[in-house]
Amino acid sequence: MLERVIQTDALTKHYGEFHAVNALNCSVRAERITGFLGRNGAGKSSTIKMLLGMIRPTSGTGSVLGYKIDDPKQSIEIRQRIAYVGEDKGLYGYMTVGQLIWFTRSFYADWQPDVEKRLLAEYRLPLGRKVKALSKGMRTKLALLLALARRPALLILDEPTEGLDPVSIEELLQTLVMAPMQGTTVFFSSHQLSEVERVADDILMIDRGVAVLDMPLEQIRENYRRVTFGFGHPVPTLPQLDGMERVRIEGRQVSILASRNSEAIAGMGHEVGAATVDVAPISLREIFLETVQEQNKRDQEAHWEQTHALV
Amino acid sequence: MLWYKAWRETRIVTLGGVAAMAIACGMIVWFEHAMRDNAEVPMSYVAYIWKSVYNSIGRDIFLFLCVILGGGGLLQERAQGTAGFTLSLPASRGQIVFWRAVMGYAGVVALALTPAVVLPLASPYRNEIYPVSQALGFSLLWAGCGAVFYGFTFLLAHVLEGEYTAILAAIPSLMFYGVLQGLPWMERLPMLNIFHVVNGEDMPYFNEGLHLLTGPLPWLPLGAMLVLASGFVFAAGRRMRLRDF
Repeated sequence: MLERVIQTDALTKHYGEFHAVNALNCSVRAERITGFLGRNGAGKSSTIKMLLGMIRPTSGTGSVLGYKIDDPKQSIEIRQRIAYVGEDKGLYGYMTVGQLIWFTRSFYADWQPDVEKRLLAEYRLPLGRKVKALSKGMRTKLALLLALARRPALLILDEPTEGLDPVSIEELLQTLVMAPMQGTTVFFSSHQLSEVERVADDILMIDRGVAVLDMPLEQIRENYRRVTFGFGHPVPTLPQLDGMERVRIEGRQVSILASRNSEAIAGMGHEVGAATVDVAPISLREIFLETVQEQNKRDQEAHWEQTHALV
Repeated sequence: MLWYKAWRETRIVTLGGVAAMAIACGMIVWFEHAMRDNAEVPMSYVAYIWKSVYNSIGRDIFLFLCVILGGGGLLQERAQGTAGFTLSLPASRGQIVFWRAVMGYAGVVALALTPAVVLPLASPYRNEIYPVSQALGFSLLWAGCGAVFYGFTFLLAHVLEGEYTAILAAIPSLMFYGVLQGLPWMERLPMLNIFHVVNGEDMPYFNEGLHLLTGPLPWLPLGAMLVLASGFVFAAGRRMRLRDF
């Protein structure tokens, strides 16, 4: 069995001047759940589309389940073995639920009729209703049914919980947790960090098309800390230690995001005369915000300047 | 099963078009007395059918529907938001384009055959006869000429973004083609005038006095039209192969 089901090597996608994915190196481990995070426009959907052969990489390479993503024939093999739920959940409005299931089933030898029946009952999907007459939530459920009623080697979900009610989200998360036990690797993007934190084994975070965090969640929990110094006098110059990812100074308070080595960083606080030194665990949400917020501000400023230059 | 998807996409236009064509042909047959009695010049039933179906409303409906049937494909799906689902299926883009082209053209053939079924069957109810061989001959002409209109729109639909852009672009393009037929050098090449090939007007295989197909059908031009239409479809497939979605 493959240890890495997704692997990219300097995978790049440019749309003219815009660099959607920028020499992305990442890998996704088999039979685990990987949360794929990034702000809007970070390159998540472009990455997923390249993995599925919907868009061609500008440069770099990648493989899914050992098949090359830029080879059209191998791309079909990839799509035969994976299940995918796209961001827009666009399904054929002119078909009924039953017809769409029948149509989709015909492409896959690994279709599970018992799972299909169970999910139909669970999601209360009316077989005879036209897809265009379904609510957004019901369409999402149908898209999930089409992906989950199989036993794919890899399940790729782009914002799967968008539009779902809390009960359905809970059921979906339970389904995702069970998937690796049946040999399915899950790779899903989401903006709901609390959900990702609940179910993911690994985290892959990208920003501006580059991987900024690629680590097991357990390791993130163990290593990432917020180290805070409080000074009774103006903040002195702080030495840069290994593991100091972000340093924010507000008045006489220093907040450091540490990816490792938090004890040494705390010790440094004592050495430079901090009156208070606090080391606290940090949530995935805080890590995400710390990682992308600064860049987000810079991007907003650049966009503002560009817009006003045009005016 | 891509054929099923393509069938569902073209079903309404195909069945609706066949129904509209059948009703139009049926009405033309049913009101033949009234129409012929009021005609300025007396005409035979066969001439009346040619003027009404093959040189008028029937042909116009047919060519318009050929354009409508050609206006589908992956770019239209992109505008509708379903391209992601289609492209995630384990099928090549070539297969997707191929089946859409085949089912769309099947619709064109069904439309072309409709007068061949309705006219010979309905005529006896008015104590008239319209020969099956004539109707089938015109169906062949329609199927060949319709392929060009269909293929041209199909190619446009795989080049131009938007749900109905291809159809909106195809109609004026074909009108412009009609205008070009008036150019003197074009008149020297009558087989390039699809609007005449489709109904036999000014063609050696059509007897203008009897309004009947008398000579052998223009198999070479018809074959060339099918080759041209296949070329359009092939070009559409090539275009989709390299396209980002």
